[in-house]
Amino acid sequence: MIDVDTDTAPGAALLRPEGRLTMVTAPQLRAAVTQALAGGRTRIVVDLSVCEFIDSSGLGAIIGGLKTARQAGGDLRIAAPGEQVRMVLQLTNLDRVLRAYPSVAEALDAT
Amino acid sequence: MRPEVLRTRTLPVQPAALEALHELITDLWQESPAVPHGDRLRFETAVTEIAGNVVKHAGTAPGRTFTVELTVYPDRLEAHLQDRGRPAAVDLDVVTLPDELAESGRGLALAVAAVDELTYRRDGAVNHWRVVRRRRPEDA
Repeated sequence: MIDVDTDTAPGAALLRPEGRLTMVTAPQLRAAVTQALAGGRTRIVVDLSVCEFIDSSGLGAIIGGLKTARQAGGDLRIAAPGEQVRMVLQLTNLDRVLRAYPSVAEALDAT
Repeated sequence: MRPEVLRTRTLPVQPAALEALHELITDLWQESPAVPHGDRLRFETAVTEIAGNVVKHAGTAPGRTFTVELTVYPDRLEAHLQDRGRPAAVDLDVVTLPDELAESGRGLALAVAAVDELTYRRDGAVNHWRVVRRRRPEDA
């Protein structure tokens, strides 16, 4: 399940995948990014603090969101990844593309 | 070496199988509390990728299933996945990560990086995947 918060900061959308971000839920994250951008919210923060587990489909959805956000003149940042997510980012070298911010507030400040 | 815990399950070739697999793996750790946390994360990451690969590529004809066998040994964690879908066109010796902005194609490279052994063979009409993570001391 993806929790969506559009009240935190102007022009921003905070997307919070809960539990597991896998082939099952990755399409929901893609849809949430598309919807946020359609509503003019181009500062996307994916809050991973309650995401316990990610697979390559989840990574693909985040990269897809990063690309579409940039195409819309915005950006996508990730915040507060847990141990498994950090491991997966490192093993796929995506920690170089997706800099992880320690908190949502810091990620929002950076967008 | 004798296995400590063994779990086998037949799952549908559908995305929802990944959730059932997670439950099976969680059950495995409850039975084997001594397995180090880092090994658990890497093993589940790799097994989930292989199961995802089966679901994506083996074909989703109605009623199609695959089997997962998970074994905890004193020195390693082992998974064996079998399906009767299409042969997988993979060479695990040369699997590489795609372009950094690619939206797919990382699964097998991630699985290879997460564990110590990943092998695939086609035997008759059956695909066999074997995943091995050797257990490290907790503080390694």
